Amino acid sequence: MSGEVQITIETEADIVVARQKGRELAARGGFSTTDQTLIATAISEVARNIMQYARRGEIILSALEITGRRGIDVLARDDGPGIADLALAMQDGYSTGNSLGLGLPGVRRLMDEFNLESVPGRGTTVRLKKWVR
Amino acid sequence: MAEIAPAIMGRVFPAEIAIDAREIERRKAFLEFREEDAEALKSLNEIAQTYAEPVIEDFYRHILAFEETRAFFGDPKRLERVKRLQKEYFLRLTQGDYTADYVANRLRIGTVHEQINLDPKWYLGAYNFYLRAVGSRLQEKFACEPNKAFASLLSMMKLVFLDIGLALDTYFFAREATMRKQQEAIRELSTPVLQIRERLLLLPIIGVIDTHRARLITENLLQAIRSNRAKVVVMDVTGVVTIDSRVANHLLQSVAAARLMGATVIVTGLSSEVAQALVQLGIDLSRVSTVGDLQGGIEEAERVLGLRVLASDTDHSPARPG
Amino acid sequence: MPVPVLKQGDVLIASVQAALSDKDLAQLREDLADRVGRYRARGVIIDVAALDVLDSFAARTVRGIAYSTRLRGARTVVVGIQPDVAYAMVQLGLSLDDIATALDVEEGLALLRTTA
Repeated sequence: MSGEVQITIETEADIVVARQKGRELAARGGFSTTDQTLIATAISEVARNIMQYARRGEIILSALEITGRRGIDVLARDDGPGIADLALAMQDGYSTGNSLGLGLPGVRRLMDEFNLESVPGRGTTVRLKKWVR
Repeated sequence: MAEIAPAIMGRVFPAEIAIDAREIERRKAFLEFREEDAEALKSLNEIAQTYAEPVIEDFYRHILAFEETRAFFGDPKRLERVKRLQKEYFLRLTQGDYTADYVANRLRIGTVHEQINLDPKWYLGAYNFYLRAVGSRLQEKFACEPNKAFASLLSMMKLVFLDIGLALDTYFFAREATMRKQQEAIRELSTPVLQIRERLLLLPIIGVIDTHRARLITENLLQAIRSNRAKVVVMDVTGVVTIDSRVANHLLQSVAAARLMGATVIVTGLSSEVAQALVQLGIDLSRVSTVGDLQGGIEEAERVLGLRVLASDTDHSPARPG
Repeated sequence: MPVPVLKQGDVLIASVQAALSDKDLAQLREDLADRVGRYRARGVIIDVAALDVLDSFAARTVRGIAYSTRLRGARTVVVGIQPDVAYAMVQLGLSLDDIATALDVEEGLALLRTTA
């Protein structure tokens, strides 16, 4: 895949690296600055989830190109404890400013495509995509 | 097929329309373009070298004979340059190696056509001319082997159709990109943010609000707040066609984002019926300042800014002395 | 330390230069709490103009600071949220509803003056 970037997430500094690389990749793909910020923010959120709940994981960024449309693909995965109740995690009932919650409904709003897979005890994978308008 | 100016070349990226090796193979399979076709065409290269000049000359005679296509070649220097490129194109048809590079080369052509506004019907006609010209030359050359002439022409036809497909791909892709840009420009014109007083912006929203437009409105508004250092925004929704819960949420998001930048938003033109309906749908309007009409909203904004100290005449405040 | 804190009259101005780590946050919160007490500051301005992303962690951070300064009798104003950062925050659902906001330091100071 063209332009694939892998970032190991272990420390807070890694979160910043991940979102900066995300912004760069988005800029190269032709995303507006507003969209670049949305993407960087989404990456920041999922990276922090990895750090907070799984201690260690990785984020893989790649450029997408399908029939004339360009986009970005963000894959965030870890071997952490996993999410016990996916439905609850995706509920928008409370503000993501709380210390509860993974902020996933918000992340979904930031991006165009959102996919969440998690097996308790095995880990979590979040896949996000956004397309240039 | 057309002039490929250096500046334009730099802007064309075949990768944008994702024609990868697999896609090329699929197209060749569909056209039944096989190894034997490639070989057959390669064996025609010497003949092509001999016939290139006369074919190109005929080709341009044909193009210049028609008003619609003559228009693109007014300048004699340009015509010379294009003829040269055309000859290269023609010879490339019989040079073999019909893979990535070949495809990249062909993909540029469509983009150039779109940029100079040359409609597909004209360059399809041009490809047609090529095939007929090549056909008659082959007939001449292989007079004693008509089957060979015919087979060669069929191979050429497959390749030319591959070219046409590629040229059309980029033509349409470039066209869509142009149209998207135009639509964007129109959308921007239709969501103006007006500064009506110092620190006071007016945002009249008219028409249908879909997600995309809502996003644009919000982006414009936030940029305007920054560049005008606005403290109050009057967002008038009188002209919004339908305010359902989705539209209301978009507007609420704009209000929330404006607030993060230190600007207060006063929503005007929201009838009490619509407001009530929204509240019943669970939309929380408690944090949004709403005033019935635009005039009232502007007055309220001025009050907030400290521009209007006295109550207005229509206000039901206690009577003023004098 | 990525957060220089200036004193202007009875207002403290903290300009966040880069993404805050947990450690930096704790440091800043302590620092501001200490100075608010020491200088009897009545206002704290947190300037985030240099941040290109404000995620939920950053929002919690800011809330935490506002809460602890309020406990010491000072008011917090967050300033400098950039247009696309504001947009992203709202999409994410972060509205900082309970905290005052202003366009920049100048506006933040004006706001603190008018609500003394």
